[in-house]
Amino acid sequence: MAIRSQLLKGILEGCLLAIIARETVYGYELAVKLQTQGIDVSEGSIYPILLRLQKEQLIVGEMRKSPSGPNRKYYQLTEKGKTALQAFRSNWENLKRPVDQLLEQKEEY
Amino acid sequence: MEAIIQANNQKRKLLNEKNKKIYEDMLMYIRLSYDKSEEETEEILMELLDHLFILQEEGKDAEELFGEDPQRYADEIINELPKTVSKKRLLLFGMGVSYFFAVSAMFQGLLSIILFYVFNQSEISQTYSVGTVLVNTCLSLGVAALVLYGIIRYLRWSCFKQVSKVFEFVFTGILFGVLPFCLFMFIFYFMPSFGPTITFDVYWFIPIGIVLFFMGQKLRKQV
Repeated sequence: MAIRSQLLKGILEGCLLAIIARETVYGYELAVKLQTQGIDVSEGSIYPILLRLQKEQLIVGEMRKSPSGPNRKYYQLTEKGKTALQAFRSNWENLKRPVDQLLEQKEEY
Repeated sequence: MEAIIQANNQKRKLLNEKNKKIYEDMLMYIRLSYDKSEEETEEILMELLDHLFILQEEGKDAEELFGEDPQRYADEIINELPKTVSKKRLLLFGMGVSYFFAVSAMFQGLLSIILFYVFNQSEISQTYSVGTVLVNTCLSLGVAALVLYGIIRYLRWSCFKQVSKVFEFVFTGILFGVLPFCLFMFIFYFMPSFGPTITFDVYWFIPIGIVLFFMGQKLRKQV
């Protein structure tokens, strides 16, 4: 699935924030976690989003030694990121049900 | 910064032929987006390399990472990279100008000294028209900047493509070698003399060149 639509981009941003909020992760780990959640995007698509989230100061990355050897860039949420995740969560909650309902009613028209 | 570039150079050797080609195109293309923060650029390049390496170990394709159109993917990355701070850009510009004049002055000095001592041609003390020198200097800087810009554009264009070696040799040779050289010659030959004149011994060019060179070095350290 290529990420062309703005909608998908926004949702993916929210998902990355949610994963990073739970634990400090590096890029590859993040891609795997997305996929195990069943969100099937190409693995590379997370990197432009990570860059954007850093630019907006929602996350910070830090180069650190990993247990298995090489230096990796680990990401964690900033205070601003926590607020953004809250906002995403409530927006999503508010939209989810009405949109679902709307789509289910489709047959009746 | 040096450490991360070194690590990248080392790790890149572990890629197989196919992955290496596509990754190095990606690397060159992204690094040549010259107005981006170097630190962020090198960090994302390292992340992509690490990721690609894991995919390779798992027997997966580079397409999984970069999608079907790597150039488009690279553009997406470049779009999100923060710009270099303007102070740094100014320093880089100053460094480039200093080096350019350092090389020009030393070249001019050496050439004149060799002409005088080896071939007994021309005079050891030369007269220059300030106006002409100033205009020539500005024009040469312009030509040099244009050539540099052209080279960067060409290199970026050639990424993700198979360019024949013969084409590359002829095309770049003419565009970045013969053409600028003719232009320089044209400028220096046809520029009329004007403005007040100064006379000095040509070996002064050497210390001037050395001073300019150290100025460039100093600016480079601050970048």
